[in-house]
Amino acid sequence: MAARIDFASLTLKDALDLAVLIEDEAKERYEDFAAQMDQHRTPEAAKFFRLMAVNEAKHGQELAERRGQLFGDAPRTVTRAQIFDVEAPDFDEARAFMSPRQAMKAALASEVKAQAFFVAALPALKDAKVRALFEELRDEEVEHQALVKAELAKLPPDSGLSDDDFVDEPAAQ
Amino acid sequence: MSATCEFQAKDYKSDLKPIWCPGCGDYSVVQGIYRALAAIGRPPHEVAFISGIGCSSRIPGYTTAYGFNTVHGRALPIAQGIKLANPDLLVLAAGGDGDGFSIGGGHIAHLIRRNIDITYIVMDNQIYGLTKGQLSPTSQKGRTTCTSPYGSLENPVNPLLYTLAYGAGFVAQASPTDLAGMAAIIEEAIRYPGFAFVNVQSPCVTYGEEAQQIKGLKAISASLKELGHDPADRLAAMDLAQHYGEKMHLGVFYRNPEPPPTYDALIRERQVQLSQGALPKERILDLFIKK
Ligand SMILES: Cc1ncc(C[n+]2csc(CCOP(=O)(O)OP(=O)(O)O)c2C)c(N)n1
Ligand code: SF4
Ligand SMILES: [Mg+2]
Repeated sequence: MAARIDFASLTLKDALDLAVLIEDEAKERYEDFAAQMDQHRTPEAAKFFRLMAVNEAKHGQELAERRGQLFGDAPRTVTRAQIFDVEAPDFDEARAFMSPRQAMKAALASEVKAQAFFVAALPALKDAKVRALFEELRDEEVEHQALVKAELAKLPPDSGLSDDDFVDEPAAQ
Repeated sequence: MSATCEFQAKDYKSDLKPIWCPGCGDYSVVQGIYRALAAIGRPPHEVAFISGIGCSSRIPGYTTAYGFNTVHGRALPIAQGIKLANPDLLVLAAGGDGDGFSIGGGHIAHLIRRNIDITYIVMDNQIYGLTKGQLSPTSQKGRTTCTSPYGSLENPVNPLLYTLAYGAGFVAQASPTDLAGMAAIIEEAIRYPGFAFVNVQSPCVTYGEEAQQIKGLKAISASLKELGHDPADRLAAMDLAQHYGEKMHLGVFYRNPEPPPTYDALIRERQVQLSQGALPKERILDLFIKK
């Protein structure tokens, strides 16, 4: 994850805008993953990634509304280039034929990553309102982790087989 | 050439769904290209995107630019022809490490010495992905693959040093560990007036090694900017480029601070000069008729 943000001078407007961009990025990555799963006939993981995309879009929308109420249509001064993979899973987290469990674990790891981002930024923040927002976002990430964990718990037990169990040994010639 | 206008990354995305393996680094590269093209703002029909053969060479099809998925190793000769025939086009070339440094390895030197205004993006995964995991010219020594079952005895090609040594005016490296950085580098490469080379470490999740996946790359990555590297210093760039394979330096290694004229510009100049003393079109036949 790369972030090019001057946390010390971050205003509440910029912080909200960044939070929206973070949700947008995650939403797009999950949509991308869902499309990759469709393409590779992995429908259950596709369904889960699509659900994650919808959730990220919802959070983004809520944050955008808050931003609108507080700052109207004042121009945005932060850009997407300032954040990278804060809440979006890494590009290589998707795999053909991944199980719903693997898909959920990838999402869980991203929620943990996002929480770590907000925690790491806290000491550098100077503005009390920005700090409160980051604390709120940090706590939300913890809630999201709990939601994914609850979904994981609903799955039937793991077969215990690994990908290697499905690889054919070379046949004797 | 049309005036530039507002475009968004999605305007460069075609309806074709990529068939790369899920998780392939090439997904990030195409995103980086969409963003870079949007930042440049040339309409898709003014962009020609040429590739060779390989998983990575499928990339033009996933954009709305004019594309030509050519022959293995031959992206660069065709890209040069296109640029010379229609210099107003923004010409991008792309392909894999095998395409660019094995079968097509002879072409890059000539493109560099001609300095035609083309941006060449190599998706370097240190393997032949499309043909299922054979040794590639950038595979590390000792690497076991189906074509090197006891481990490779060959040293890899160093794409960064190779292009710098031939005199490329712009040499950079990017990776999916930093998409925003990748998009900015590709944009800068396109804006560079002359040949520009971008090596993208783009992991193959199916045949690549664990250490070359995103987590492994993150562990060895270092930003050239944060190291204080001056991209105008070619010798320092060569020094840093020697660490290819051990460290992943991201950013611009070298950008010629005084870009020389491009071949395409020199050709135009020559055409203007020669046309001054040239016979009018209707008298051209006279040259062939004995008086
Ligand atoms: C003349 C010719 N020789 C060999 C091949 C087979 N071939 C297709 S792609 C490829 C190598 C692909 O590796 P790379 O360029 O690194 O691309 P990647 O698939 O890794 O992205 C080879 C050897 C071919 N298509 N044409
Ligand atoms: S084989 Fe490797 S390079 Fe080719 S699409 Fe799959 S992951 Fe990408
Ligand atoms: Mg390759």
